[in-house]
Amino acid sequence: MLALALLLGPGPARAQPSEEAVKAAFLPRFARYVTWPGPFLPGPGAPFQLCVIGRDPFARLLDQAAARELIDGHGVVVRRMPSADGSQGCHLAFVQGAAAPDTASLLAALRRRPVLTITDARAGPHRGVIHFVIADGRVRFFIDDAAAAERGLSISSRLLALAVGVRQRR
Amino acid sequence: MRRLAHLPLRWSNAPVAVVAMVALLLLAGIGIILQSEAAYRDLQAQETRVQADILSASVTAALDFSDRQAVQEAVDVIRVNRQVRTIGVYDQSGALMAGYGRRGAGPAPRFVDPLPPAGNAVTATVPVTSGGERIGTVYVAADPEPLTRRINRYIVIGLLVLMAALVVAVLGAAQNALRRANRELEERAEALVGANAELKVQVSERTKAEDQLRQAHKMQALGQLTGGIAHDFNNLLTVIQGSADMLRRRALDEDKRVRFAEAIVQASSRAAALTGQLLAFARRQPLQPEVIDINHLIRDMTDLLDRTLGERIEVRTILSTDACTVEADRAQLESAVLNIAVNARDAMPDGGLLTIRTAGFDEAQTGRMVALAVSDSGVGMDEDTLGRAFEPFFTTKATGKGTGLGLSQVYGFASQSGGDVQIDSRAGEGTTVTLLLPCSGGVGSGRRAEEALGRIEPRRTGRILLVEDNEEVGEFAENLLGELGHIVTRVRSGEEALAAALDEGFDAVFTDVVMPGMSGLELGDRLAQLRPLLPVILTTGYSDEIARSGAGGRSVILKPYRLETLAAAIDQVLGAPAK
Repeated sequence: MLALALLLGPGPARAQPSEEAVKAAFLPRFARYVTWPGPFLPGPGAPFQLCVIGRDPFARLLDQAAARELIDGHGVVVRRMPSADGSQGCHLAFVQGAAAPDTASLLAALRRRPVLTITDARAGPHRGVIHFVIADGRVRFFIDDAAAAERGLSISSRLLALAVGVRQRR
Repeated sequence: MRRLAHLPLRWSNAPVAVVAMVALLLLAGIGIILQSEAAYRDLQAQETRVQADILSASVTAALDFSDRQAVQEAVDVIRVNRQVRTIGVYDQSGALMAGYGRRGAGPAPRFVDPLPPAGNAVTATVPVTSGGERIGTVYVAADPEPLTRRINRYIVIGLLVLMAALVVAVLGAAQNALRRANRELEERAEALVGANAELKVQVSERTKAEDQLRQAHKMQALGQLTGGIAHDFNNLLTVIQGSADMLRRRALDEDKRVRFAEAIVQASSRAAALTGQLLAFARRQPLQPEVIDINHLIRDMTDLLDRTLGERIEVRTILSTDACTVEADRAQLESAVLNIAVNARDAMPDGGLLTIRTAGFDEAQTGRMVALAVSDSGVGMDEDTLGRAFEPFFTTKATGKGTGLGLSQVYGFASQSGGDVQIDSRAGEGTTVTLLLPCSGGVGSGRRAEEALGRIEPRRTGRILLVEDNEEVGEFAENLLGELGHIVTRVRSGEEALAAALDEGFDAVFTDVVMPGMSGLELGDRLAQLRPLLPVILTTGYSDEIARSGAGGRSVILKPYRLETLAAAIDQVLGAPAK
């Protein structure tokens, strides 16, 4: 892992990674700072499921990032699905409809389920628990801690500290 | 030598121990400082590591999401600690994410394991892990505590150690001094013991020398005495012999015959007085105590004193009425007064005043006493002379002028009579000799009872048993008694006398006391049993026994005796009727 990272990381060829690549790298990492309710945690040896619902802007980038990830012995697998149907077992879900209202409806379908929903500002104003934005030319995110609470999720304060803004849980 | 022998020991023991103690203390102090330094460095390493741990935890998410700014913020929180010199946060690839460096000590741009040491700084390198995966590294380097502060702390320790060392050194020095003082004390004690032993030897030698000196004095005194007596006796014997020779001449008129006889009598009495003094000194003179009024006696002696002392000496008497009577031997008392007066005369060669005082006084131990003080205005005595004044045969007079027995007689008489003698004298200021005698309480007389003896005529004659071992004295006494008209039977011992007394009827026994075999006293006792009514008269030159126990009520006639004395004594026992 480290060797791979070292191979990829250093060097003069290291151009600024694309926005999509950064987001793809971020997505599996969120699992590290989120705690799911007990029954929804993956069993021993079972991976976290990262679902891409709707449009997939990452393609192989996400697969590579997920393959690198190992969280306390759990790997991360990427599942892609067109709708919220079959989203059972998803721990994280990147939600992006073809148009903005689609995103909203997809989000609505996932409401009240212990799924960490992630949305992108480029796809519209509708926000999941985590909402990617571009600030100062860098990929940042908002965190809706209240929504996370509704879903029974708890987000590490370390992650909250990195957010551009946090909607506090009540 | 002993002192030298002790030195190396003394100097090799205590100071070495003290130096060792001090060195030990200093070593301990250094050890404490080193240990404290090590402990401090451990602590600082721990603190630095804790700082790194905290940083590592707080940058985990920021590293995960490559948030440089968040990393820098976390770093800035840590840099508030002024002791932190360098901070570096490296990502998974080893690239510097954020850092901080004080005084140009910036973090290395890339992380290599391990990072090179940064001078004296305390460093900690901690991996940043997320989800069990190493995602980066945190490096923290902290300055050690400033040297001055550390030195201050160590100075305190050092001072404490130094003080302890000083205390030990002082104690050691004190101990050393004490030991030295003890040793000196011991040496002095030894020296003292030595000096004492030497002193003892000297004392014993001195005692020996004194004994020898005393012996020499004795011999000298004996020589002086012998010389003096021989001189006096020769003078008297010259008179006696010359007079006797003259008496042998046929053609001698009555007048001269009487004069020569008188000369013999006088010389003999002086010789008797001389032997009397000798015996008094030897305390073998039987005392014949009688009750004497001292004032009376002094008054009677005034003429005699005037004659004896000569014209140039005035005699003054101050006689107190409270002077009591004493019980003493009259002749001895007169002799004592005369001796003191003669000494006073000799102390006043150019004339002077002789004062005789009497006084009665009470003494706690002996009761009422009478003091007879004879003072002169003469040359006095120095201390040495005063100290030896009572010494027999000691005299300041030229050989032949004095026997050295005068004051001895006074002393002997006084102590025999239960009294004492005191001399007060100082050179140039005269001398006072005080005779102290106990009071008797009886009514005394001043006169000699026997003065009238010469006029007593024998009124009765009888048969006398004469016991005398000495041939000359015996023949003389036999003649004397025959002359008095008695019938005399002479025997030469007590045993013979006893046998004679059984056979014949004697009227009286006249016996010598000192004889070989049975003594006169013993004979008297035996005769008292055999013939209680037979009177016994004792005669002696001197006798220990009579001086000790008395004559048992019998008459005693002292040799040399006068015809009158013998006649009176015999008359008395024969019951001569009063005149």
